[in-house]
Amino acid sequence: MTSTAEVVRAARPAVGGERTIARDNRRLKWLMLAPALAFVGLMIVFPLFYTLNLAFTDAFGAVNAAHSYVGPRNFLDALGDTRRFWPATGRTALFTAGAVLLETVFGLALAMLMRKAFRGLRLLRTLLIIPLLTTPLAIGILWLLILDPTNGIANHLLASVGLPRQEFLGSVSQSLPTLMLIDVWQWTPMLTLLLLAGLSTLPDEPEEAARVDGAGTWQRFRYVVLPMLGPTLGIAVVLRSVDALKTFDLLYATKGPGGGSDFEVETLNIYAYGLTFDYQEYGLASAVLVLFTVAIICVVILLRRRPGGRSG
Amino acid sequence: MPADSHPGPPPLTRRSFGRLAAGVLGGASLAACAPGRDAPSRDTPLRVMACNHVWSQAISKYVPEFEERIGRRVSMSMLTADQLSNSYNVKLNASGTDIDVMMMRALQEQLLFAHNGWLADLTGRVTGDAAFRWTDFLQAARDRSTTAGKVLSVPIVTERAALYYRKDLVDSPPATLDELMETSLRLTDRGGNVFGFVGRGQRNGSVSQWSSFLYSFGGDFTIDGRSGIGRPEAVTAYEFYGRLLREAGPPGATNMTLEQAMPIFAQGKAAFYVDADSIYTNFLDPKVSTVQDTVAFAPVPAGPKGARPYNIPSWSLAVSRFSLLQDEAWEFLRWAAGPEMVARIQADGIPGARTSAWSSPATLASFPPQLAAAMSKSSEIGVGHDRPEVLQVGRARDIVGRPLVAGILGGSVPTVVRDADAEFAEFLVRDNRYREA
Amino acid sequence: MKLLRTVVIVVVALVFALPIVWMFAAAFKTNVQVTDPTVGLLFTPTLDNFGNVLADGEILTGLRNSLLVGVVSTVLSAVIAVPAAWAVGRFGMHRTGSLVLVARIVPAVSLLVPWYYLFAQAGLVGSYVVLILSHMFVSVPLILWIMIGFFEGLPVELEEAARTDGLTAFGAFRRIALPLATPGTATASVLAFVASWNNFMFALIFSNEETQTAPVTLFNFISYASTDWGGLMAAASLMTVPVVIAAIFGQKYLVAGLTAGATKG
Repeated sequence: MTSTAEVVRAARPAVGGERTIARDNRRLKWLMLAPALAFVGLMIVFPLFYTLNLAFTDAFGAVNAAHSYVGPRNFLDALGDTRRFWPATGRTALFTAGAVLLETVFGLALAMLMRKAFRGLRLLRTLLIIPLLTTPLAIGILWLLILDPTNGIANHLLASVGLPRQEFLGSVSQSLPTLMLIDVWQWTPMLTLLLLAGLSTLPDEPEEAARVDGAGTWQRFRYVVLPMLGPTLGIAVVLRSVDALKTFDLLYATKGPGGGSDFEVETLNIYAYGLTFDYQEYGLASAVLVLFTVAIICVVILLRRRPGGRSG
Repeated sequence: MPADSHPGPPPLTRRSFGRLAAGVLGGASLAACAPGRDAPSRDTPLRVMACNHVWSQAISKYVPEFEERIGRRVSMSMLTADQLSNSYNVKLNASGTDIDVMMMRALQEQLLFAHNGWLADLTGRVTGDAAFRWTDFLQAARDRSTTAGKVLSVPIVTERAALYYRKDLVDSPPATLDELMETSLRLTDRGGNVFGFVGRGQRNGSVSQWSSFLYSFGGDFTIDGRSGIGRPEAVTAYEFYGRLLREAGPPGATNMTLEQAMPIFAQGKAAFYVDADSIYTNFLDPKVSTVQDTVAFAPVPAGPKGARPYNIPSWSLAVSRFSLLQDEAWEFLRWAAGPEMVARIQADGIPGARTSAWSSPATLASFPPQLAAAMSKSSEIGVGHDRPEVLQVGRARDIVGRPLVAGILGGSVPTVVRDADAEFAEFLVRDNRYREA
Repeated sequence: MKLLRTVVIVVVALVFALPIVWMFAAAFKTNVQVTDPTVGLLFTPTLDNFGNVLADGEILTGLRNSLLVGVVSTVLSAVIAVPAAWAVGRFGMHRTGSLVLVARIVPAVSLLVPWYYLFAQAGLVGSYVVLILSHMFVSVPLILWIMIGFFEGLPVELEEAARTDGLTAFGAFRRIALPLATPGTATASVLAFVASWNNFMFALIFSNEETQTAPVTLFNFISYASTDWGGLMAAASLMTVPVVIAAIFGQKYLVAGLTAGATKG
């Protein structure tokens, strides 16, 4: 590893001129970026056109069976479908907003708590990372076991302290909130760690100054720390939101395909999956996927425009 | 270090990244244009895709002898039913050649697969092979294996609805559905976490088990090609099953698939359980069940229109039309579904589809006597389907399952039925259009 | 106040640790015990589940395949993503960089059938190649996103000094930027590996019996009529152990990596 000091010490007067360096840089940066761009581009270009194409057809049953172009009918059907599409959109929005909000609040609280070093900090950090790195599928199945209404440990504990047993994932009304909480359990650590690092790069002076001026803990947090943390917070929220919008493994492992008996956890991703694999209605499924992707892009653009969020 | 005044990036850089880019592009274009489908060699295994079912587990023990017979390795993948369906969907949509033998649910998938042209026509093979004894298969099962006059699958597992009950809690099994309701309600003790009845309650999965109730009340999914779920008999059946689960069943019933309902009975928490008879081995296995000594078997109780359980070929074997080993795949079917193997497997406790196996006392002896009696009775009176007989079975089940969920949750069944009936009627029109296309 | 803080920290630790502990505990129980809520953490453990899992060649094959696909896809992803990240971070090419990040937005469902079709045409289905390529599709944007932050944070003067010193642009990258970013590269690679290790959907569709990865084999324990919960939890535990070991040892780097993308990014 080259020491920066060595490098600086070895600096010599410019040879070759500024323009050469600029030109080298221009060429090189494209060369360096090319493989990644090419790889992603090639992998995505066929599926993109494939899906877009199918979205305008009435393909059903088998993809290469005879099908005809039906114009924007699938899109209109989806956008006019109040039975499945819009409720799915609503659930997707609710799940994402709720989970990400809680994860941000708890993550922030935990990060503030863990700011000052203490004995066992490393242990706590390790414990926090484990749910983050475990297979979402295994986590779904684990919680299914813990929350089983009849045979699970959760209800057993509730009953033993006199609280009423809950249906959790067995209930139509409780499923989505329960899954949101499981998602919060799994992903709060990620936000905690992101925000902890953000906090660690903040300068001490502003907070010191505020304390000297007599500002209380909450005021210091609200008016000094939070604004400075803005950019980090913005990026963390965007990242987590994109993943939360697309949540699949957790919902599939706990409620199976179909999003539950009353479609209680059918999000757009689950709906599109069901349309493809359970109903074999490829035209409609593709249209839903296109609409879903557009929605995610809109959310990302919106979130990055927020004051304090990074734009561009 | 000497001054380096090359006018552009060093050739090495350009070359190495150029290579990388070319490699990626080359690989991708290879993927896009090369035909690449190899003809099978002696070493290519025969690929069997199967569900993680007791049948697959039983037959895999005997597979080595088949491998020896045809001189080719067999590669059997075992997946859950959903994963299996998904795999078929993706691979056959792309005309994949990496499937030879397919284990599938004739009632769920055959019409669709036939419509898509994914199954090899076995008519000539089954009828032309005397040793295979095609007519030995149960008539109803043979009918289900035939679509538009062509035999497209061979049935290997049959199921009938069965009533599992606890003989320490009831002296004799209920003979009528009303008795079942009465006794279940009586035996339910929510405080003690004991329930009179457990059964599937998930919208899609429960439809097949509920069908016996539907038939016993005199209804059916479709009557003369039209929706039958709006009729009074269907409404009564919905309300009955819904009430059973709501008032005598465990909490969270609407999320209970087979995998969640079964352990509840196996843990001794329920007095009655209605499900397929093929899962009985779970209750006799001490590693899974605490009720080995107290479980008993009976046919499903009779409704006002008699006892009409379903009696269906639940799983069949088919050959993929895209398989490059068609003859070997047929050999596998011939062996696995042939009279000798079916008799052997039935003796291991797997109910098959051959009359010869059913009438042989040796194979019947492998089932607990009560269960064997129930199976025989159900075979005689059973109905040959347990779900709507349409192309898009998935969507159909979702539609006809909605009133069930409403019943379990205590909602207004007639209201939901009206809506579901209208949806089902629309659906049937579309489904018929697809069928004719 | 300090007491409150300690209490809260303990509660938090328990909240995150207990379910995982439950998973490990269930791996040592029989199926009857697993579905019996009265059996808590005090019971006679059995090694049967692990025995079954390890005897089932599939799990071991799954673990081996996950390792192979994970390592290869991660290395290849790093090779193409790290230089790209340098280009984006150093030269501020955020708009172009965003094009690569679009890969993170596309739902996987829309990729399955077209990819399967493409790869089937090339006869690659069931091979390691298709698994590696599909995992790379996830890893490249991930590594890129993390490394952009690292490279943006490096002072430009160092590289410029090296250029005036006579190094080529690429040399500046190779000799200055890359070594300084090693912690970031290491972290990004570990995270990409973990993402590959946990990936389920691609393996389900594109792998065959010989190449299936660990999460797919997990589902082997859900059979037609019963779930072998003990076996399932044992398999899940076996899958989680490498991840836990990585967490314990790489903790410092992992935390640094997750945070680099955020603070600079």
